[in-house]
Amino acid sequence: MTSTEQDAVRSLDELGPVDYVVIEFPAGQSNFTGEMAKELLALVDAGTIRVIDILILEKSDDGSIDAIELSDVGELGELQALEAELAELLAAEDVAHLAAAMDPGSVAGVLVYENLWAAPFAAAARRSGGQLIANGRIPIQAIIASIEADEAASAEGD
Amino acid sequence: MPVRPARVGRVGVIGAPVAKTVVVAKAVSPGPSPVAKTAVVAAAVTPGRGVRRRI
Repeated sequence: MTSTEQDAVRSLDELGPVDYVVIEFPAGQSNFTGEMAKELLALVDAGTIRVIDILILEKSDDGSIDAIELSDVGELGELQALEAELAELLAAEDVAHLAAAMDPGSVAGVLVYENLWAAPFAAAARRSGGQLIANGRIPIQAIIASIEADEAASAEGD
Repeated sequence: MPVRPARVGRVGVIGAPVAKTVVVAKAVSPGPSPVAKTAVVAAAVTPGRGVRRRI
């Protein structure tokens, strides 16, 4: 194995989990003050995440989809530095898949990011022989539903 | 507005159409105020919640 190949393997082994989020803004409900950009940059600056890709999707009332590159947004402000580092991981076919979750008439931001905070643990797990077989997110709403179900069951038992 | 040429013709990474998260409606349903719910959730994810689950 060449040193370049060894570097690539080492780099892959130390890569943190990559996630994506689609944040939808229903028609007429967006209120962009710069707060989201500020918090995103804070996560990047703290080394918590590395932003891999960003797209803005618009879904018209007839269901057609428009994908906008971050570089095509007028005033990027502090996001300018971030835009220069994007890896453009998402392919054109991903746009349709992601937009399937959107309601007609809405706008959504798609963010793909590496969880740098998780990379050392993930690498240690791999070195220990472990492999990721499942992961996911528990929505706060699901926790609320669980608690409410517990409370309802307790009330019935009283 | 088209995506950049670099995105076209590549194999995607998402794999299949994404479904909207279905539990969102729960968060806006009638019930305790968001503040009260926050306190309840915080208690639920705090160690020593109470009954140990049995699988």
